[in-house]
Amino acid sequence: MRISPNLVPMLVVALVVLALYWPLMYLANIPVAQRALDTGAALPCQTAFECATQLRSPVLPSPQQLWNGFGNLMFPLNSPNAIPINAAVTAFETVVGLLLAAVVGFFFAIGMVASRAFERALLPWIVASQTVPIIAIAPMLVVLLGQYGVQGWLPKAIIAAYIAFFPITIGVAKGLKSPDPMALDLMKTYNASHWQTYLKLRFPASVPYLFTAFKVAMTAALIGAIVAEISTISFQGIGKMLAENSRASDVVAMWVIMLSSAVLGILLVALVNWLERLLTPWRRTSGGAAIPAKQARLSRREGVG
Amino acid sequence: MQANTSPELSAKGSNAAAIVSVQGVSMVFPNGTVALKDANLEIAQGEFISLIGPSGCGKTTLLRLLADLIQPSSGTIRIGGKSPEEARKARAYGYVFQAPTLMEWRNVLSNVMLPLEVMNFPVQERRARAERMLALVGLEKFARHYPWQLSGGMQQRVSIARALAFDPQLLFMDEPFGALDEITRENLNLELLRLWRETGKTIIFVTHSIPEAVFLSTRIVVMTPRPGKIETVIPVDLPQPRTFETRETTRFFELATAVREALRKGHGYEVTE
Repeated sequence: MRISPNLVPMLVVALVVLALYWPLMYLANIPVAQRALDTGAALPCQTAFECATQLRSPVLPSPQQLWNGFGNLMFPLNSPNAIPINAAVTAFETVVGLLLAAVVGFFFAIGMVASRAFERALLPWIVASQTVPIIAIAPMLVVLLGQYGVQGWLPKAIIAAYIAFFPITIGVAKGLKSPDPMALDLMKTYNASHWQTYLKLRFPASVPYLFTAFKVAMTAALIGAIVAEISTISFQGIGKMLAENSRASDVVAMWVIMLSSAVLGILLVALVNWLERLLTPWRRTSGGAAIPAKQARLSRREGVG
Repeated sequence: MQANTSPELSAKGSNAAAIVSVQGVSMVFPNGTVALKDANLEIAQGEFISLIGPSGCGKTTLLRLLADLIQPSSGTIRIGGKSPEEARKARAYGYVFQAPTLMEWRNVLSNVMLPLEVMNFPVQERRARAERMLALVGLEKFARHYPWQLSGGMQQRVSIARALAFDPQLLFMDEPFGALDEITRENLNLELLRLWRETGKTIIFVTHSIPEAVFLSTRIVVMTPRPGKIETVIPVDLPQPRTFETRETTRFFELATAVREALRKGHGYEVTE
């Protein structure tokens, strides 16, 4: 119900993309279709234009092919080879990864705020950890974790956490440092302990930053989980489906799975948005007009100006 | 150096019951700036003292020294017979900052309860005290509102209620109304005087508005820059309780002129910042 105002502009963008995609699809497929016709392949179509939407391995799949492929891959809903269960597994790995990343991120962020030396000593290494290609490090991590009997979804969640902890560390550190010097002085006039200053000021002040970081980290974690599934032995997950269909050269299925993972990303970020609204009720509602209107209403009711 | 011109008040100031005593206090910042030079000041219980002067005259520095937010380079400060640090740890004063510094995630009532939580007041007592303080500043109806739903003046009233919540004897106010429009400011001035009368607190108030200082104070400490120092102390003999009409009396203008001339004498008028 909250999503409905976003739905119309979102659909407009989808239609525009589709309108641009259609001619591009023909442009890409017609030469391939022509070649297929020239070689005398048995095709259920006569012209290159007609065949462009019906190739078994199109350069770009036609919307109709995508639609059919989507129908094939979504159902039955509980099939181990269909998208729903695999997407759920990937989503689970992503969310667990994000939570792991939050724990690690908080630990580093507090360290960085509490001690300049800690920040100077560790930040370069944290940055370095993010420049290692995840596709290279994922199989090695899985082998390493496998040594200790960590198998299945957990290594994927750990790899997701590996890329997600960076935006969380930076975001939370910024959030913990965000209180105004005056607010810190205020706590000092109360003779508040360090712990009280964290509890009453720094942690609550960092919450909006945390959610912003979560949104960035969530998309990173999703990519991490999928890459981890692709580059290791997996029995479930979006990444496993991508790897399988890649081996089978099923272009249409690849596209359908890719688009599904995009939708999964949107849903996961929407989940963070929803949690943000739930957990930060004090934040002003977006849209500038809401504030003066509310204030005016308030002033009239209470008779203040 | 100390130019306390009222015999009655200086007698009061020099006795042992002075709640604030500043003796030969200087403040030199690490970059070499002399923010305050050889300040001397005695403040008696129940006074309303304004520190006035242009930017860079050390008035906020002096207040921060009293509050133990910074420590002096030399000299002695006693707050109720204690060092500023002991006084801060004994929660002897409430501090109102230039900005309301309310916690945006707490509603008005919960903001006023903040110091009570930090100071471990009994849970049952927190709400009652906070509600009483909100009533004192006339905002009891807004207890459930969030800070962003209030005007700037209302936010600053909440921060005053918060500073008074744990019932300190001293109230330090650092240009609390500086960001507000003239009309709101005059209203809050009246309200602050009422609060001062009702609670019997000692208030030390930093401002750069001459009318505000004259209207509020029992004594005005005129400060001048480069280096920051106390130029003179002007007692204000306007009768209490002061009203809107007080600002239109001849005596009010005379006192405002006296403050202005003291500022000019110390070159407090030629500051460009």
